[in-house]
Amino acid sequence: MSQSGIITSIYKALTKQKALIALLAMMIGMLFSKTNFYSAYNILDMLNSSSILMILAYGVTFTIISGGCDLSIGGNLVVAGILAIKLLDVMPMWLAVMIAILFGAVVGFVNGFLVVHQKTEPFIITLGMGLLLTGIAQQLTDAHPLPAKNPDFMMISNGDFHGIPNLVIIMLTCLAISFWIMRYTQFGRNLYAIGGDYEVARYSGIDVIRTKWMGFVLSGIAASLAGVLLSSKLNTGSPVYGETTALVVNCGVVVGGTSFAGGIGGIPQSGLGLLVFGMLDNVMNMLGITSYYQVLLKGVAIVTIIWLDCFANKRKREAV
Amino acid sequence: MNIAESEYVLSIKDVSKSFPGVKALDSVSLDVKRGTVHGIVGENGAGKSTLMKILSGVYQKDSGTIIFDGQIIEHTTPHESMKRGLSIIYQELNLVNTMSVGENIFLGRFKEMKGMRGTHAKAKELLERIGCRINTYKLVSELSVSEKQMVEIAKALSFKSKLIIMDEPSSSLTNEEMAELAKIIRQLKSQAISIIYISHKLDEIFEFCDIVSVMRDGHVIDTKPKSEFSRNELIMKMIGRKIENEYPERPRRIGDTLLEVRSINTRKLHDISFTLRKGEILGLVGLVGSGRTEIVRALYGADKVRGHKIFIEGKPVRIRNPKDAIDAGFGFIPEDRKFQGLVLPFTVESNISMASIPKFTKFGFIKKSIEKNIAEQQIKALSIKTPSSKTVVNSLSGGNQQKCIVGRWLEIAPRIFIMDEPTRGIDVGAKYEIYTLMKEIAEKGGAIILISSELPEVLNMSNRVLTVFEGRITGEFNPETTPADAIMSAALGIDGREI
Amino acid sequence: MVGRSEMQEKKQIVKSARSILKNYLVLVMIAFLVLITAIVEPKFLSGSNLVNIMRQFGPLVMVSLGMTFVIIGGFIDLSVAGTINLVAVVTISLIQPLGQVPALLIGLLLGIVCGALNSVLILTSGALTQAEALFLTFGMSTIYSAFALLYSHGSTMHFWDISASKSIFEAIGSGNIGFFSVSFVLFLIFLGILWIFQSKTAEGRAIYLTGGNKTAARLSGIGIYRSIVEIYVICGFMAAVGAIVLFSRITTAAPVIGAGYETSAILAVVVGGTTLKGGNGSVLRTVMGVLLVVLISNCLDLLGVSSYMQYAVKGAILMLAIWLDNRKQA
Repeated sequence: MSQSGIITSIYKALTKQKALIALLAMMIGMLFSKTNFYSAYNILDMLNSSSILMILAYGVTFTIISGGCDLSIGGNLVVAGILAIKLLDVMPMWLAVMIAILFGAVVGFVNGFLVVHQKTEPFIITLGMGLLLTGIAQQLTDAHPLPAKNPDFMMISNGDFHGIPNLVIIMLTCLAISFWIMRYTQFGRNLYAIGGDYEVARYSGIDVIRTKWMGFVLSGIAASLAGVLLSSKLNTGSPVYGETTALVVNCGVVVGGTSFAGGIGGIPQSGLGLLVFGMLDNVMNMLGITSYYQVLLKGVAIVTIIWLDCFANKRKREAV
Repeated sequence: MNIAESEYVLSIKDVSKSFPGVKALDSVSLDVKRGTVHGIVGENGAGKSTLMKILSGVYQKDSGTIIFDGQIIEHTTPHESMKRGLSIIYQELNLVNTMSVGENIFLGRFKEMKGMRGTHAKAKELLERIGCRINTYKLVSELSVSEKQMVEIAKALSFKSKLIIMDEPSSSLTNEEMAELAKIIRQLKSQAISIIYISHKLDEIFEFCDIVSVMRDGHVIDTKPKSEFSRNELIMKMIGRKIENEYPERPRRIGDTLLEVRSINTRKLHDISFTLRKGEILGLVGLVGSGRTEIVRALYGADKVRGHKIFIEGKPVRIRNPKDAIDAGFGFIPEDRKFQGLVLPFTVESNISMASIPKFTKFGFIKKSIEKNIAEQQIKALSIKTPSSKTVVNSLSGGNQQKCIVGRWLEIAPRIFIMDEPTRGIDVGAKYEIYTLMKEIAEKGGAIILISSELPEVLNMSNRVLTVFEGRITGEFNPETTPADAIMSAALGIDGREI
Repeated sequence: MVGRSEMQEKKQIVKSARSILKNYLVLVMIAFLVLITAIVEPKFLSGSNLVNIMRQFGPLVMVSLGMTFVIIGGFIDLSVAGTINLVAVVTISLIQPLGQVPALLIGLLLGIVCGALNSVLILTSGALTQAEALFLTFGMSTIYSAFALLYSHGSTMHFWDISASKSIFEAIGSGNIGFFSVSFVLFLIFLGILWIFQSKTAEGRAIYLTGGNKTAARLSGIGIYRSIVEIYVICGFMAAVGAIVLFSRITTAAPVIGAGYETSAILAVVVGGTTLKGGNGSVLRTVMGVLLVVLISNCLDLLGVSSYMQYAVKGAILMLAIWLDNRKQA
């Protein structure tokens, strides 16, 4: 390949990964700042605070890749967290956690039924599910945060293993498992096929219904896991994080390069997208940007990246 | 198992298939010998693709027998068909664009192939068998049409196919790519794989095929070894209907130049220039993908094209979007009536009135009574068969749907009417009605640009014909005086002639 | 009819009943709910309760009416929450320095600007799908909310801080015209105007066609880009109206006052029977949707159900409505 050929292909690869550019831009920018952005403590802290959202992102990716979406993750996560805390009173911790995660699987199952089997619009159905669950969460806690009574519970998310926070370890484990599923199992590849072209996948003998359905179940499990972890981190079960989480996570996934059209993107991209949000928060804090400007910058970042993405598609479309 | 079965890989006897209002296949019989390339020729609507879709499992036959590789095939699905060893490569290509070459070949068989590495290794092997060196990790969306075809062939090989059906494989290929395909076909044949080769390109039929079948109007007209066919005989049998009563007389009152187009240049089109006279029907003849639709879309402002010049009655006109075109007097029937022409969930009335809204709007307000009149007038004038003007247009037959679109434009009486495949998928009776309409429009002083893949149609309706090949105008002919095969040759890129 | 058996008659009745159920599902559900509640809790039909119900037709219905147009056009607008936040804090802050009428006008103008900005971003980026518009407007919501926070420094402004005349707002918030509240009358006026626009004007028809099939509409000479601007401007404007009604009602404007309105509005539109696909729907249907949501809240209130469970029930109703609607189409 000639010199210009290499440069063009690097350019092409980079522009596809706008999230990566954003990350690199921030990282390079921070080199010049007089902050301790690059301290081990800060890096770990950044990963720590992004972990829960990243776990949610991995789960949601299963549905988006196959052409759907899951907006119920916020409600799912708060109910699971509250459920775990309530059950702590009456059973051993590991059992409470298991049941809470199982709850997420059930939610995913119902979502999958309505979307895949009954062929309804995933956006609205999962949005409704999210509202339903948020309402239940509020009911269960009477809108007050519910403290956990088992001191060990807190250690799940707040402990560390030889200096690395548990949360980060759990997140990396989820990353590895999800990545492995998506890239190295027939199930994962079938999800891509279904999202890329439903009919072609069907004609090739793939069980499109069962596969897509399972994607929703996985998303539900990830959400409930995230919920348990969040409750553990805050040591309370609260319905507060239900409302905007779903939109933020789905948005982050798209920013990272997993497209709502289906078949494009994947686990690392989704994680990257949320890392952009996480790093952005961290960088803004480091630079002492006040919280209102943080909100503004975050909005500008989202709009810019998505706008650029749409524009690139437009140029491709209109090239006659 | 009797001897006859082992000689033929495929045996079709008296297969029929009907759709609402149309008998697509009428007692079709066909036998394909093992290890041969069997060509099928026929015009659009002849029944070729219906037959292929039945073989591949997309449709189910109404009656008749199909025996493949010694087995009687009843109800089947595309996947089962592939597993049995019958693969089909569609013109539209059945690949997942967002996935890699290797994965497309083994779609749904990831586990069987032992994961990513096994998939790509085996894929590479299959591609090399047909002399193809594409990187199997490349995404299908990045491939050329020719490369995509090779992926499909490799896919067929991966199922150990005994019969591969190729539907118009060369319609978007360059000469070099065609040579590649030719090599592959010869290789496949030497591996005892039979091929059904469907094509308009008679050169290829004569080059590759051992046996040729001609289909027309849902029947197999004739099946002979290619050596027993002459070129003219093939063309005659393809278009062999009695032409006399199919089409009305051509419009005769041809006037001055109405439209002049100069230098349309895009990635696909090269220096397209032509004129159109009042009262004339100008036909654009060419293969699928030759650029005919691109030409009219550029003219109509449907695509973003710059740098060309348009003159109407001598005056320069700027057309940047369809609205400009309509204001300049254009009308446009798009190629794909379902997705580009109609708003399927809307009523017949809305679909007809869509382009003439200003006509029944006063001070911004819609007068529904006038709209209703417009719709009912057009329904009556065009004999559109619909329970009422408020019926949802999706429930109408193809012909009547097309009439709605025609009615939409007639309402604003365009003087330059672009019609892209106006009679596609329409029954004979409705076709004649549209032909008569076209003649009337021309005789009233309008002009029509007609695109049609049905050669007899475009030849019989047009006063003048332009042949388009690979984005260039290769010839201009008078269909009344020039023989059909000469025009066809120019459309196939073989010596174009000016009149 | 002569010769018709009883069996055939019964079949005909069942068929008509089914058809009514299919097409007017929401109305049927409303009727059902009203009936049950009236029986269980007669207070439901009392004058004071009806007034109560009427009062609910405030901010939500305004925003939902605007959202209807965006959805008919085949798009979606998640920025209404941000628009409401921004318009509320800006308008209320301008009453003192500029007077209530200029403040009101500026507030409405701001809504239009927000909507126009949304449409410009969507058009320039070439976003033609609902998903792309979804995330772009979500980002815009964050930006508008940020402006609201910055402008107000995070503080809430109250009517009692304002000494200048705020009679218009007070009237909107708690005034009455005869039996009806001012906000209800406003709602009827806007409903009328928007219904006329939607059903009787060429631009309204263009919006339906844009939502029905953008390609076919464009090829037929419909100005789809103009329609896209219109739907977002209407949505932004109605969000501003909603913001004004809201802060007039509660006499305070906090920069987070609009939270959740985008979801509730979409909910109301969809429950009312407008599909997200675009090309169909009506502001009247949206009103039915809002009515259903409001009635559910009211009935559940009277029946003693907690407000949290009401929230949950709303989500369940939404899912149910979509599911059943889907089965009708299948």
